[in-house]
Amino acid sequence: MALLRPLDKLPTLDVATILLLGAEETLLEQLGVAIIKACEGSAKVQVHVASCLPLPTDRECFRPRIDLIVFVLSLRSKYSLRTVEASLPHVDASFFLGKVCFLVTGVRQEPNASIHMDTVRKMATTYHSPLLFGDLEVECFRASVAQRLIQILQICAGHVPGLSALNLLSLMKPSLELTTQET
Amino acid sequence: MSTPEADLSLFIPIIQTNPLAWKMRQNASGFAPLNQKYGQNDKEEYNEGDALHRALEHIRTVKEKGAVEERHLQTVEDIAWKSGLAPEDIDTLLDVALSGPFDLPILLQYLIPTAFGLVQHPADGPTQWVPNPTADHCWATAEAVKTRMLKCLIPATLIPESAVVRAFSRLCASNCSNNTKVLFFRWLIAMFDFIDGKEEMNSLYGFFFSFLQEETMSCYICNFLYLLTKRENVKPFRVRKLLEFQSKVGMQPYLQALLSLYRSFCPDLITISLPPKRKFYFKTTDSIWQAAVCIVKERNQKSPLPSVKLTIGTAYSHPQKKKWNSGCVIPMPTSSHVSKEEQDEEGDSSSLEVMLSGQKSFPLEQLHTFSQLLDNIQDVELPSQMCSVLKSAPLLHYLNCIQDETVWLRLSYWMSQELKEGCTWCKVSNYTSEEEFRKFLDIIISAQCFLQEGFPSSEVFLYKSLPLWDGISCRTEYLQLLSWIPLGNFSEIKPLLCDSLTQLFFTSSIYHKCSVLYSLKQLLENWLLWHAMKVSMKSTLSISADTPMIALNSVSELIYYVGWLSTIALRLEKNSSFLLHFILDFFEMVSDMYLNYNLPLVVIFPRGVFYPALLTSDSIALNRLCYIMYRYRVNLTASKENALIYQERLKFNKTYQEFNEYVTALVDCLWTSTSFEKDHYLYIDPQILEKTKIREYKKSLNLINHPALLPYSINFLLQVKGWPNEKELSLSSIQKKKWNWYLDYLLLEELHGLHLFMESSLDIADSASSAHTHPAHKTPKTCMSEPV
Repeated sequence: MALLRPLDKLPTLDVATILLLGAEETLLEQLGVAIIKACEGSAKVQVHVASCLPLPTDRECFRPRIDLIVFVLSLRSKYSLRTVEASLPHVDASFFLGKVCFLVTGVRQEPNASIHMDTVRKMATTYHSPLLFGDLEVECFRASVAQRLIQILQICAGHVPGLSALNLLSLMKPSLELTTQET
Repeated sequence: MSTPEADLSLFIPIIQTNPLAWKMRQNASGFAPLNQKYGQNDKEEYNEGDALHRALEHIRTVKEKGAVEERHLQTVEDIAWKSGLAPEDIDTLLDVALSGPFDLPILLQYLIPTAFGLVQHPADGPTQWVPNPTADHCWATAEAVKTRMLKCLIPATLIPESAVVRAFSRLCASNCSNNTKVLFFRWLIAMFDFIDGKEEMNSLYGFFFSFLQEETMSCYICNFLYLLTKRENVKPFRVRKLLEFQSKVGMQPYLQALLSLYRSFCPDLITISLPPKRKFYFKTTDSIWQAAVCIVKERNQKSPLPSVKLTIGTAYSHPQKKKWNSGCVIPMPTSSHVSKEEQDEEGDSSSLEVMLSGQKSFPLEQLHTFSQLLDNIQDVELPSQMCSVLKSAPLLHYLNCIQDETVWLRLSYWMSQELKEGCTWCKVSNYTSEEEFRKFLDIIISAQCFLQEGFPSSEVFLYKSLPLWDGISCRTEYLQLLSWIPLGNFSEIKPLLCDSLTQLFFTSSIYHKCSVLYSLKQLLENWLLWHAMKVSMKSTLSISADTPMIALNSVSELIYYVGWLSTIALRLEKNSSFLLHFILDFFEMVSDMYLNYNLPLVVIFPRGVFYPALLTSDSIALNRLCYIMYRYRVNLTASKENALIYQERLKFNKTYQEFNEYVTALVDCLWTSTSFEKDHYLYIDPQILEKTKIREYKKSLNLINHPALLPYSINFLLQVKGWPNEKELSLSSIQKKKWNWYLDYLLLEELHGLHLFMESSLDIADSASSAHTHPAHKTPKTCMSEPV
């Protein structure tokens, strides 16, 4: 099937599933390992890694419901940006209600960047999705990125009572008027 | 530049630093083998010193050149290369080597005793030298001998300045060959840092400068002048001379270095544009000498060279490289008036300052206390490396009171560079590790704490690096930078700070949330202190009327922001009591703003904080909530007198209403047990409550049954058990007399907040009769919703 939908399958009990998507597969795998390691013993998390969308249809029936899609792109390669851009149309619009986030890596080597930071920022605002930064090549930064992704994933999978993915998205939206919250 | 070098290379012998080679050489020269380790035992030490003295003595007494003299020269060389020469021996040898193209034995006859201070000053003698028939041969031999002598001038400890001055005067007086002069200057450059004083040498600056005209050695002279120049040496006529020379030889790198140094001292004198900085201005200092000094030092480890660093010479020759290596290292502040011995380990990185700082200034190394600063405040000159002031408290005081804008510019320029380069999550930095960056941040923070204000560069750095921050590396230090953001318009700060902070806050762990809240509390405290200070200064200084309004708005917006963050954080973290304490910490300060900080503003915390704290199972949180409510009441009552609040009473009405709502809710819950009734905030349809099958659900949140206080009531009952005729524990039995005992018991258990709230907010009028009535008869004493 062409479109990836968030709610076309039933969730697995107590399991949250994250899909990491990007051209740099070794980095994604390392990040996946870091995520699994970070939530060892505390929560059940499944990590799926893909280089592009659409996902192959033959194993569709074995695939669990995906709670969060993370688009990983590196500032150093235009190819990674193109891959992400090509994959985005294959994601159902309802995913963008908080179940997508962009992760930008390679920020520390900004002088060597082939993609401007603004391009990425613009893309994130266009798709109303949060933008995270983190260098996946360094162990400690990878671990902290994994921690943050787990936090988001827990909410997206509905494991945090009283908060939904859309709720979180609206909270993290930059142009939020705080004073109106008080009334 | 290349010609003297080419000539010279013929004169530089290949010195084997291999100890075996020395040994072989010693054996070949027929001398008793000298011990490998200097000072290993007394006898050998004696032998060495003895040999040297014998050699010098022999050289002195010998009449003709030949094998004997050669042997003794060899001895001197061997000893010099092995264990270095004592200051007085260096004096002797220098004197001999530079006294002119004499027939060496005659020369020695004259000079050696002189050097030891035995006969009249040699200046009388040598100038009357007349070339004799065998001059050519003698001259050549003497040259070779001099070269060898100069080369073996390896100091064991220090070189006396007087020896250098005397040698130089001899060099000027007699017509030494160019090679000798060049070699002497190369030796001076290499050994510059071993000379025990520079003052007298500096007084000969003009003479050194005049040597520039000789093109063959101008490169070395430039290098030497670069080391020697002080601010007061830079004179217009010298600058003219230099520029003249530059037009003659072109823009040579060594000349460029000297010019740029001159320009850094007197930018007004040199207006020509210099090419961008290079990495290497001078040829590297002579490595043979360096190696020799290294080996000597190694050998004499038992008596190490006093505070001499070999890196000094190299640090000079390529100042740019130093910067790359230094990372976030902050040197100690230093000025010129200390001798080498007094300088600390940081001596090498600060030696530029030694040159830059002026003559008359008070030595910064001796500036330790505030009173010293007061005594010498007119003589204090800031170090050239502004970063070094961060470590010195008196200098920070000084920085605080001077009005010079440029000083702050220099500091912030340096700081923003260092922060940018060192920040491990913004930039790949090979020079600084996280640990180093953390230390660097610590230094900045302690300076900020000392000055009680944030540096603008650290604020900018915070805004720039926050979106990229992972929330973990250097967390404590980095968040402390946050607490020093200066009080400004919050609407300007918000897009820079809050957007990234909010995102990070919601996606990170509970510990991160707590530390963010903690630093926001410190930020609020700093803002309140600044505001309080401004208000107190208002009488002396004329501050525009809108400044307090901006401050008020910023503070209230910050409180709203934190309230909003806390509300959601409590939901995210499932009302964790750990987090709740940090939130209550923040609002404890907020509740006391009016009285403690004289800020005409009372902001009530949001419901999202109040109700989780009310319905918590943590007795300490409940107690703190009661205390905060008590403080709110005290502040609100006091603020009724305030004129400004009276003017804006319509706005404040809302505050009073909120407060009254909270007080009612609190009293409803804990005392009157009416919280679930109609028209109360916690109203729940009774039918639903019936379904929970909780008996007496109405009373389930009162002082006895509240989940946070249940342990206390049970414990209380256990203590008074058997009084009177109790068969079993029944919570409902706490009534009348026992109720009052129970309240006293709660006070004994240190629940002071609860007690204070009770005393202030409950109608005490009927407290006398309350012993006999049911507590439910009490009524909450709310604040009047309108200021009087």
